[in-house]
Amino acid sequence: MRPARPTHHDAARRRLLRGMVAAIAAIGLATPALAEGPWQRLDAARSVLGDAEPNTQGLVLDLPHVSEDGASVALTVGFDGELADDDYISRIDLFATANPSPEIATFHLTPLSGKPEISTRVRLNETQQVIAIATSHQGERFATAREVRITVSGCLMRNGGDQPEPLSNPRVSVPSSFTAGQPEAVRTLINHPMETGLREGADGEVVPRHIIERFTVSLNGETAFEAELHQSISASPYLLFYLSPDESGEALFEWQDDTGNSATHEASIQAG
Amino acid sequence: MNHRHNRSGLTRRQLIKGIGAASLLPLMGSAPFAIGGQNAGRVLVVGGGFGGATAAKYLKRANPAIEVILIEPNETFYTCPFSNLHLGGLRQMDAIAHGYAELEDRYGVRVIHATAEDVDADAHQVTLSTGRKLDYDRLVLSPGIDMRWNALEGYDEEAAEKAPHAWKAGTQTELLRSQLEAMDDGGTFVMVAPANPFRCPPGPYERASLVANYLAQYKPKSKVLILDAKDNFSKQGLFTAGWERLYGDRIEWVGLSNDGRVTRVDADRLEVETEFGTVHRADVLNVIPPQKAGWIAERAGVTDDSGWVPVKAETFESRQVADIYVVGDATVAAPMPKSGFCANGQAKVVAAAIAASLESRPAPEAYWTNTCYSLVGPEYGISVAGVYRVQDGVIAEVEGAGGLSPADASDATRALEAEYAVGWYNAICQDTWGTPLGGRAT
Ligand SMILES: Cc1cc2nc3c(=O)[nH]c(=O)nc-3n(C[C@H](O)[C@H](O)[C@H](O)COP(=O)(O)OP(=O)(O)OC[C@H]3O[C@@H](n4cnc5c(N)ncnc54)[C@H](O)[C@@H]3O)c2cc1C
Repeated sequence: MRPARPTHHDAARRRLLRGMVAAIAAIGLATPALAEGPWQRLDAARSVLGDAEPNTQGLVLDLPHVSEDGASVALTVGFDGELADDDYISRIDLFATANPSPEIATFHLTPLSGKPEISTRVRLNETQQVIAIATSHQGERFATAREVRITVSGCLMRNGGDQPEPLSNPRVSVPSSFTAGQPEAVRTLINHPMETGLREGADGEVVPRHIIERFTVSLNGETAFEAELHQSISASPYLLFYLSPDESGEALFEWQDDTGNSATHEASIQAG
Repeated sequence: MNHRHNRSGLTRRQLIKGIGAASLLPLMGSAPFAIGGQNAGRVLVVGGGFGGATAAKYLKRANPAIEVILIEPNETFYTCPFSNLHLGGLRQMDAIAHGYAELEDRYGVRVIHATAEDVDADAHQVTLSTGRKLDYDRLVLSPGIDMRWNALEGYDEEAAEKAPHAWKAGTQTELLRSQLEAMDDGGTFVMVAPANPFRCPPGPYERASLVANYLAQYKPKSKVLILDAKDNFSKQGLFTAGWERLYGDRIEWVGLSNDGRVTRVDADRLEVETEFGTVHRADVLNVIPPQKAGWIAERAGVTDDSGWVPVKAETFESRQVADIYVVGDATVAAPMPKSGFCANGQAKVVAAAIAASLESRPAPEAYWTNTCYSLVGPEYGISVAGVYRVQDGVIAEVEGAGGLSPADASDATRALEAEYAVGWYNAICQDTWGTPLGGRAT
């Protein structure tokens, strides 16, 4: 079978949409990039934004339009907007507007993180908007939102299944070597039930909340990347983020859960 | 042939016929005049699988005056349903083969064996591989799936000759079967299973079951390893219980949270590597890669950036291009699964909607059912059923309707369900091609 020739429909449609946005801007919205967004209607998001009006250009949220398993929806948030040369994205917050508690995670980035882009997997109870807010070191704010439709089909019905052992099997994948100034992807995965505290067990009793709350990565003792996790992160948290180490040494990965237990993993880093 | 259409579905020929065109305009939309006879409109159907063959037949049943042309390159269609039985050595390819004679002879569908190469939606015209151009009033696309080659590093068309997907039935199925037969006892059959959405959610696990059944009999020292990009799969509890019951620990399943997601395939060495760097060596390697709508859908401009086709729930008309209807695996129809049963049901809704629109009638209300049978063993069947309706403009599962086979069913019940699965297969093939039990052209 012969391979598909790319169509121009999509590109044309996108051009059209962009044109429309520009046209609307021209007819008088004073600050089109600061348009009303769902973050204004969510207290948790407003408390991150403060009085700031976020820029709606630059922060990109990638999620499927439709997901057939709300227990694990792949999400990527990244920033490709404009910032001052000496500025960087230092914090990204994620919210699920219609989950019982909307906080998904807060990521703290440093110059050693290199590139503000993070992938994880989240729980979404129902069809809803997911919000991302990014804050730069110098206090600039960016926001974006995406609608995700959740349709858990009977054909994919979940059967509960075995709960993973908390904090078991930490896995880390780091590149064999880094080039100075070139951020590279690092992946981490650890087994944990991430009990939401909202689920009933087989005995009809609510299973108590039990989650990993904090994940930290340090390079030669200096914090490079940190994540605060909430109930809306899927079981067995997965995180893909970037590191840009300026010298070789040791990377330490640590997961802490709400019972005070933790797991660690060490990796040596080659940078040159 | 001059067969231009206008928005109401009437061809220009019909409009000009006899009466002054202007005087007709006020009538359009109300009375179904000038319909019937030989000018009821022309519908092209691309793809003669579960969705397309059903749509062609039911269009003719709705109104025999509609000219229906089915475009399908192959003279014989091999069904994916029951192709896992061939892999497991339980059914010959002939017994999953179907032809188009019944659609032609009994229902008056015109079948052209060619590939639709291009769609010009503005001109309402399809170009065939033969160079021929055909005009349409309505177009139905049921092209099934295509593989997203190289979305999984190292897995392209060439790699599929060594590590078959067998996710379209035919030569790929036979290739995988011959590799399984040639495998030494003690070998490992490794299956790479994709993330959602993909064709036939329970399919990989039925396949693992029937491969294990074959190995248990003929190569008892051999194993099945499933590396999965998901943590949950269809009928998971029923499958795992069935595996334990029938195959002990012969089948090992590694899910996403335990580094089951494969990120690189080396088809020459029959090796796969997972996201966290574990390399698994296979003796037979079955890679079911990420998928998208059949390529003609993209060419027709009906796919979105997910690679699948968004449709209007009530009619399965494309949300992006007027007068093109899409059914089956190519569509975004969740929570309906990508199954042959759903493709068949969606095609009936489309046939009714098109027949109505050609007469300027509103489409009848749509609802669907689905039953997915899976064989865990030749005499061990399980199923899941669902009922679907349109709610607030989207397809929704009717709560409390349908459900799974009981978790604690007796062996006798499992054996009955295996029989029902065969009954289901014969019935749906009879409904779709008019040929149960692999009658090619009776
Ligand atoms: C292993 C396996 C087991 C399965 N078991 C079941 C089951 O038990 N029950 C169930 O309900 N479903 C089952 N399915 C799913 C089922 O096969 C699909 O859902 C079904 O085939 C979808 O129908 P369709 O019409 O969308 O595509 P298909 O049936 O694949 O038909 C597509 C047709 O379009 C043709 N085509 C493609 N492009 C063009 C073009 N450009 N021009 C002309 N023709 C074209 C192709 O040649 C093909 O004949 C199974 C699938 C697999 C892989």
